[in-house]
Amino acid sequence: MAELPLKGVRIVDTCIYWAGPMATVLLADLGAEVIKIESIQRLDHLRLLGGWPSPDGYEWSAVFNGANRNKYGITLNLNHPRGKEIFRSLVKIGDVVTENFSPRVMENWGLHYKALREINPRVIMLSMPGFGTTGPWRNYVTFGPNVEMVSGMPTVSGYPGGEPMMTGYIADPAAGLMGAVAVMVALRHRQRTGEGQHIDLSQMEAITTFMGGPIMDYVMNGRAGVRRGNRHPSLAPYGVYRCQGEDQWVTITVSSESEWSRFCKALGNPSWTREPKFANNLGRHKNHDELDRLIEGWTGERDKHEVMRSLQGAGVAAAPVLDFAEVLTDAHIEQRGFFEVVTRPVTGTHPHAGFPAKFSETPVSIRKPAPTLGQDTEYILKELLGMSQADLKELADQEIIGTEPQGWAFKMESDEAISRLKDIHTKGG
Amino acid sequence: MSEKALSGIRVLDLTHYIAGPYCTKILADYGGDVVKVERPGVGDAARSMGPFPEDTPNPEGSGHFLYLNTNKKSVTLNLKSATGQQVLKDMVKQSNVLVENFSPRVMPSLGLGYDTLKKVNPGLAMVSISNFGQTGPYRDYRATDLTMWGLSGILWECGEPDKEPLKMGANVSEYIGGLYAALVALAVLRYRDETGVGQHVDVSIAEAMHTMQPSMTLVFSYAGFVRKRSGVHFPWGILPCDDGYVGFFLPTQAHWELLCALLGMPELRDKPEYETPMMREERRDEVTAIIRSWLQGRLMEDVFHAAQELRLPLTIVPNPEQILSLPQHKAREYFVDIDHPVAGRLTYPGAPFRLSETPWQAGRAPLLGENNEEVYCGRLGYSRERLAKLKEESVI
Repeated sequence: MAELPLKGVRIVDTCIYWAGPMATVLLADLGAEVIKIESIQRLDHLRLLGGWPSPDGYEWSAVFNGANRNKYGITLNLNHPRGKEIFRSLVKIGDVVTENFSPRVMENWGLHYKALREINPRVIMLSMPGFGTTGPWRNYVTFGPNVEMVSGMPTVSGYPGGEPMMTGYIADPAAGLMGAVAVMVALRHRQRTGEGQHIDLSQMEAITTFMGGPIMDYVMNGRAGVRRGNRHPSLAPYGVYRCQGEDQWVTITVSSESEWSRFCKALGNPSWTREPKFANNLGRHKNHDELDRLIEGWTGERDKHEVMRSLQGAGVAAAPVLDFAEVLTDAHIEQRGFFEVVTRPVTGTHPHAGFPAKFSETPVSIRKPAPTLGQDTEYILKELLGMSQADLKELADQEIIGTEPQGWAFKMESDEAISRLKDIHTKGG
Repeated sequence: MSEKALSGIRVLDLTHYIAGPYCTKILADYGGDVVKVERPGVGDAARSMGPFPEDTPNPEGSGHFLYLNTNKKSVTLNLKSATGQQVLKDMVKQSNVLVENFSPRVMPSLGLGYDTLKKVNPGLAMVSISNFGQTGPYRDYRATDLTMWGLSGILWECGEPDKEPLKMGANVSEYIGGLYAALVALAVLRYRDETGVGQHVDVSIAEAMHTMQPSMTLVFSYAGFVRKRSGVHFPWGILPCDDGYVGFFLPTQAHWELLCALLGMPELRDKPEYETPMMREERRDEVTAIIRSWLQGRLMEDVFHAAQELRLPLTIVPNPEQILSLPQHKAREYFVDIDHPVAGRLTYPGAPFRLSETPWQAGRAPLLGENNEEVYCGRLGYSRERLAKLKEESVI
């Protein structure tokens, strides 16, 4: 089998939550050796999001298990001098160090870029706090939803006349993806010159680059953004339409006059499509509400997949709005082999979303499920740092390493915890 | 000229609209040498999509085009003509990376599929970005940003439960697809440098978008339930102050206590009906009304700083006008002013990340065909006569 593109790149990864781990999981997918550091005193908090409140609940977080595959997982207490010493030994033999704490954390540990460069002059360090490592807001706290909010995206997202809306989760993985790109850019420079560097990634700045259109519109025309639901600023019809069944929807977007005539033909040219007010894009956009009602009269009697097939058959952009159960069985996604079936200790065998690109020479896959807590501590400390069993025992006795979290007190059995969560989530808010 | 991080990378850019251009913008802004190939006469479709100054269409004035094509060179080339295809192959010989985002059947139908191009340049790293991917039953289907949201599973989860699913306003899926393309371009380039082997990468925007959510398919597989969309409600919120919106996310009990402190209402914390997160969610309308009324008469920046003093994760939710004047952006000089011969001096979003040794650099977008002579004569060594003939034959 061909080697992977990032073979030989070693990443010492202190990232927690989601944005940082997403950066390193993509690099791990591409072949980097990522050593993820947690501690038994302080788990990666992502393990607590969406995990069950049960004795092994911290192994059941889907988002953690998705964002940490292909990584080695070790525990190391960085508040202990011996923990810091081991961390420095890893940095010495590493290529990249990654962190997404607020800026003062690594500084307080004495593990900031300047200190790490003393240990390894070629090191690349990725710091990705919410607001960046400088500026008046540098120490302010953010979670992913805050980054999405402060990027301004919600002010151009929402039902017409309604308040700003957001996904609540897109900023973390998107900032992580940007972090992975940043590391690749710095690796390229090091490959050519041998020079390492510090990457200061403000998640707010990274996500604000997606706001190019609305920002340019303000700069050019003084328009401070509008919320128009799913509608396009000028094209019509454009939207999400109700289909047969409960809460079933299809997206339909018509981007040109020729697509409109194909759309009308696919519907069998009903008389309303020939009304003069719908004759061109301007008229259709002006009469969007009425147009939508007429279209929904057609889609409402049909299955969403049937709508996709007949419209796409005619060359019109349409696709069902899939829920996350349907995504797993969609014919196209399935045929592309996007989901990979992976077996992991504790959680068992499940389909996991793969890497969203296919490589002709170096296929990328899930080689290793997300680590259970401290799963690879022994391997990494022995194989990479040459420690002995006696060293490991001593570290475990001092609670610098381990596999059992401290202070985890949930007694509820998994089944009960899951059914409680299910109740909360399916009520529909 | 100072060294840039991606100095020495030659990118042949056959992209248009948003996803592809955003990918090559990143490569260009960090020092890659990007030559954008555009259709003679009209160019990249983004040149006609706006926004335009004073809403007056102008191929050199599109806000989307200007923003997404900084630091690139532009040549015009008719890829449908046999001569044009030969010229493109000459350019492929001199390139490390080719990025394209046509629909999957276009490049092969032009005789420019990967199998052909790798014979021209075996080390070529070719990245194809498409909505559904290069394979599979939907490969030739049409799509827009909204289609991608629908297929990814994310759209179903966004919006109010009693309304239609709601897409976010920016073209997020295209930016995400473009970012993945930049990531894989640099990865396969590294592989090429180490092994001499080029390759073709097929990036699917639908799949890329799917990775932007917290593994909800895995949640379904673990526990057999699909979460319904539930709007933006407590413990989340985006609520109005006097001069704009603030937003918060309060995932834990400690955050609730901080909120009570911010509101100056310690008594809320002790109310038995608000004791647990579930109880507060059940009474979220009451809780939200309390916060909403407290925000009246206050300014978003005051609320933001007061909350952050308490380490409460609350932020300003700025509109495009307010984004430009956020103090953090000002202090870090995030926005940059760029001159352009037709569009003039405009303010653009700046670096998505900062490198200590090899900084990002601002630069302008090219005029249509601005670099024809430089590329065709200077790099490919075509004579001026040949250039004139190509022009005459409408190849360029």
